[in-house]
Amino acid sequence: MNLKKYFVRALHRLQKGPGYTYKELLVWYCDNTNTHGPKRIIKEGPKKKLIWFFLTLLFASLVFWQWGILINTYLSYNVTSSLSIGFKTMKFPAVTVCNANPFKYSEVKHLLKELDRLIEAALERILQPAPRNSSENASPPLDLRLWHQIPLVLIDEHDKDNPVILDIFESNQTAGAGPASGSGSDNCTYRNFTSAAQAVTEWYILQSTSILSKVPLQERIRMGYQAEDMILACLYGAEPCNYKNFTQIYHPDHGNCYIFNWGMDEEALNSSNPGAEFGLKLILDISQQDYIPYLSSAAGARLMLHQQKSFPFLKDQGIYAMAGTETSIGVLVDELERMGYPYSDCTINGSDVPVKNLYSQYNTSYSIQACLRSCFQNHMTEICGCGHYMFPLPEGVNYCNNEDNPGWAYCYSSLRSSITHRQICIDSCKETCNDTQYKMTISMADWPSEASEDWIFHILSYERDMSTNVTLDRNGIIKLNIYFQEYNYRTISESAATTIVWLLSSLGGQFGFWMGGSVLCLIEFGEIIIDSLWITVINVISWCKGLKQKRAQARYPDAPPTVSELVEAHTNLGGAGGRPGCPDGGCMAVARGMPRHSTLCAAAVLHHGSDPRVGTQATFDF
Amino acid sequence: MAPPGPEGGRAAAGAMAPGKKITARIKRTLPVKGPQAPTLSELMRWYCLNTNTHGCRRIVVSRGRLRRFIWILLTLSAVGLILWQCAELLMNYYSASVSVTVQFQKLPFPAVTICNINPYKYSSMKDYLSELDKETKKALETFYGFSEGKSKVRRSVDEWNSTGSDFFKQIPLLKFEDFSKTATDLRSGQKRKIEGSVFHKDSSIVNSGDSNDIIGFQLCDANNSSECALYTFSSGVNAIQEWYKLHYMNIMAQIPLETKEKLSYSADDLLLTCFFDGLSCDKRHFTRFHHPLHGNCYTFNSGENGTILSTSTGGSEYGLQVVLYIDEADYNPFLVTSTGAKIIVHDQNEYPFIEDIGTEIETAAATSIGMHFTRSRKLSKPYSDCTETGADIPVENLYNKSYSLQICLHSCFQKAMVDSCGCAQYAQPLPAGAEYCNYKKNPNWMYCYYRLHEKFVKEQLGCQQICKDACSFKEWALTTSIAQWPSTVSEDWMLRVLSWDKGQKINKKLNKTDLANLMVFYKDLNERFISENPANTLVILLSNFGGQLGLWMSCSVVCVIEIVEVFFIDSLSIVMRRQWQKAKKWWNDRKRDRLGKPPQAGDLERQGHDNPVCIDEDLPTFNTALRLPLPQDNPLPRTPPPNYSTLRLETAFTEQLPDTLEVGQH
Repeated sequence: MNLKKYFVRALHRLQKGPGYTYKELLVWYCDNTNTHGPKRIIKEGPKKKLIWFFLTLLFASLVFWQWGILINTYLSYNVTSSLSIGFKTMKFPAVTVCNANPFKYSEVKHLLKELDRLIEAALERILQPAPRNSSENASPPLDLRLWHQIPLVLIDEHDKDNPVILDIFESNQTAGAGPASGSGSDNCTYRNFTSAAQAVTEWYILQSTSILSKVPLQERIRMGYQAEDMILACLYGAEPCNYKNFTQIYHPDHGNCYIFNWGMDEEALNSSNPGAEFGLKLILDISQQDYIPYLSSAAGARLMLHQQKSFPFLKDQGIYAMAGTETSIGVLVDELERMGYPYSDCTINGSDVPVKNLYSQYNTSYSIQACLRSCFQNHMTEICGCGHYMFPLPEGVNYCNNEDNPGWAYCYSSLRSSITHRQICIDSCKETCNDTQYKMTISMADWPSEASEDWIFHILSYERDMSTNVTLDRNGIIKLNIYFQEYNYRTISESAATTIVWLLSSLGGQFGFWMGGSVLCLIEFGEIIIDSLWITVINVISWCKGLKQKRAQARYPDAPPTVSELVEAHTNLGGAGGRPGCPDGGCMAVARGMPRHSTLCAAAVLHHGSDPRVGTQATFDF
Repeated sequence: MAPPGPEGGRAAAGAMAPGKKITARIKRTLPVKGPQAPTLSELMRWYCLNTNTHGCRRIVVSRGRLRRFIWILLTLSAVGLILWQCAELLMNYYSASVSVTVQFQKLPFPAVTICNINPYKYSSMKDYLSELDKETKKALETFYGFSEGKSKVRRSVDEWNSTGSDFFKQIPLLKFEDFSKTATDLRSGQKRKIEGSVFHKDSSIVNSGDSNDIIGFQLCDANNSSECALYTFSSGVNAIQEWYKLHYMNIMAQIPLETKEKLSYSADDLLLTCFFDGLSCDKRHFTRFHHPLHGNCYTFNSGENGTILSTSTGGSEYGLQVVLYIDEADYNPFLVTSTGAKIIVHDQNEYPFIEDIGTEIETAAATSIGMHFTRSRKLSKPYSDCTETGADIPVENLYNKSYSLQICLHSCFQKAMVDSCGCAQYAQPLPAGAEYCNYKKNPNWMYCYYRLHEKFVKEQLGCQQICKDACSFKEWALTTSIAQWPSTVSEDWMLRVLSWDKGQKINKKLNKTDLANLMVFYKDLNERFISENPANTLVILLSNFGGQLGLWMSCSVVCVIEIVEVFFIDSLSIVMRRQWQKAKKWWNDRKRDRLGKPPQAGDLERQGHDNPVCIDEDLPTFNTALRLPLPQDNPLPRTPPPNYSTLRLETAFTEQLPDTLEVGQH
């Protein structure tokens, strides 16, 4: 029913015309709006009117400009950082200790025997270039099968354009860059080294990698250093601990590594006191005599501090501890807490990174190093068909070795030096949002001292081997102290610089500052626009009607012109301000008020009483 | 008297006589003179009723004295709060907030400068230093009874009495018998009185009663021998080294640069192997850089040929690995007492201040240095006092590298040195037109230098005040750890192969204490960028202002303009007008008193100009002029100008009046 009424009313309104003009509407708006400028436009004299008009325009444009800046600022999602520093009870970091040498030489000797003989012979040749027949007679013939896959060559670059390449075991000289190796593939590259030491080491690593990759994991773990041999003493704060508190993990570079406080099975340990007294004290034996001579030339323990449940990337973040010394490490936890998207480009748990994390098989959390290595290994399995020994394997892929994949070394080295592949990995991996780094202050002292040497070695040997003979020496023994510094954390945390609250209050501030406006003013303005649209609609309709009537008039020219007169009368009043027949003040009075106000109507009629024509028009109009 | 509002004028223009019309139009087009309110209190009332700010209206509208008073108080306190808060906002405008961003990306590898700790090969320096060494040994013999073991004899002992330089006589080592003014001269062995101020290199000596073994030297002003400075040391080790260095610099200052470069280590001497990012490198990747105190240093990745190497993978195998040859046997025994190398990681544009911030590398060990890259940026003026390029600092940059505080301080000192001593100090580069100090040309320089250095340290030279921080700087945080190298089992083959690498230049087998292995690599490729940003922009400041104004009084810039308009322009013009009228009245009264009637007419006419009512009326005739005081009582002109009244009906009626008048006239 109501609806019908409403429609009827709307129809009447359409028939009657809008009832007021744009100008009236505008004046009414200016008079009644809550923004400060417009009121002055109509309230002041002509000069000031003009000034106020321009001022209002200027302020309005200022407001819009500044709003644009503010919204832009908001959408740039800036962050502010806050830094806090101090001491608090914190989880003690996970400590990974490894030997720099991956396997006991005594255990892997039988595997590397051929290789070692080969390299010894090669060194002999390098150091004494003149061929000696006597030595070869004495020893059993070398197995040159390994050699032919990746031979060592001497490159004589005295003649730059025409380097002479000399295979160490063959006297014939091959010139140029022809395929001198017997690897079976057509494309070969020479990796040249300026130093023989470097070349020999790299060559040895390649060969031994290939040999060891065939050995099953269990066997490799057995060949490495065992926890009870390596960790001689352990003390955490005042509590004793032993090798059983360490979690074993197999690391391709360093063999068996042992992680203290990894937090995989039990809760992570807390430390609530700074200083060496309350930290972790370890005594390690690296048994330097049992090192593989050609594989690792640096001797010591490799250790790393990292977060619980994260994989230790010793090559990147690890540090060395020297044999025969006491190394003290003061730790400061440097945390960076970032807000995720859209503030900064980081990932919370790596689930949105398009690289399959191969390190998840260790049950460790995502890290950028894990992502980069997984990315490399994925490329490697795609291109070379086998996985590199240093990284975990994807499902259904084997490690590369010279028998099954004869060209793998070439494939690997070209992949490794390929800039584009690296860039792809860098682009696809994201850093984690919560980044924790352990800043270390490292200091060293000789240990054990000369006076205490004897009894320390004696006790440690007794405890390890149950013998009264001293089985340890200075070259194998390392003491480590790891503890929190006086200030143990430095946290940089991000917070949004611009929130929606900030945006609204700034927008309001700007609008208020220039024009004294608020959201209601915007609604008022919107109302006026709707009103003026409404006027337009009604005007258009009445204009159309008028057109129709005109046509009808044209058809019947005699028709009484009453309707058109009415329309004219109506328009007459609308534009009354400018008409000479209408006294200014009176019309203004009408124009100023919203015509619907009944009091105003009365006033208007009264004013114009002196002029009967206008009066009738006015009464007619309302 | 208030002129009628423009609307009144406009309304009147409708049906007036042509002459009146013209005057009316003139009035309309002429600038509006002053506010319409006749008195200040009315103006205030009008303002309070019509203003856009909130408190003021309450004052006028409220009834009762107490309430009005409270509202006045509240409004005033709101104004006070606004002023206070806005002042706070203004004061905090130039504050900066810090943002830390971490970006994972391909990083440029920094330049790595490597020096041998010993600057020049001792064997090749023999010609220059034999005198000095002899002198030093004699001092050791005299004071400590030390004589070199037979195995280490380098020079025959008999030559001691040969003619030494004058200079050694001038600055001899002295041994002080006690704290009094007697000392034993090293050369002559005779005791002599010491005068002059005493500088203690080691301040603890002042308190120690046992002064028997104080050793030191005396520096005197060559022009004025009574002015001397005495340097004493608690330990002979320090004293001999300082004394030796003093003379050493003297000698080195006279040797031309080319010769010095030849005397020092060549790249082939220093570098045994080099490996970067999985690829071999050699001396071509290193740039020589001559450091005055450390001899020839070699910079890896100096960017000199335009390309800067970068790393796209972290970890030790992708960084720089070098094996250095440190020829320990060829060390200068008095100048340096430690063995090894010194390295510094720096930006390609930075000057390596290796003597100040270098890291020392041990021999027979592998030193692994993990790097963390941090880039920082400060805001320059007016946020903080730093300099972008150093161009605004009145100290000439003597190093042809980008500005840093260190460079500025060194340059400043060098400049002061040239100004006051007439020659340049050996450890820093030469300013244009100056040359290095040596005792042949500048016998006085050492005294001068020590005096100046003392002043510099005590911040009396003003260098610390002139020099500013650089606004942006790069920093590589290093984590250094050491492992034994080569390991006992690999030592044998390693040394053999390295000796072979070294080639025919040395015909002896290398010793492991002659070698140092160095690894420099990025721990991770995270670039930490710490930057200061302005905490406030103008936009935010303005919106904060707006927020404050709006919160307390619902005010805006429009209100401020209103306030200026009403309280300054309008009030002033009202006051001025009143004063003018008073003055005129007084003048007229005086005239009337003096002259009687005739001047009245002219007076009236003049008043008529000001009086808008009169202008609207017919030109004053004599009669109307006589009746002039009457219109004042007439309510018509007295009615306040209608255009700013609030009530519409009122407006309508007053506007009506001219019309009706006119109608009546017609």
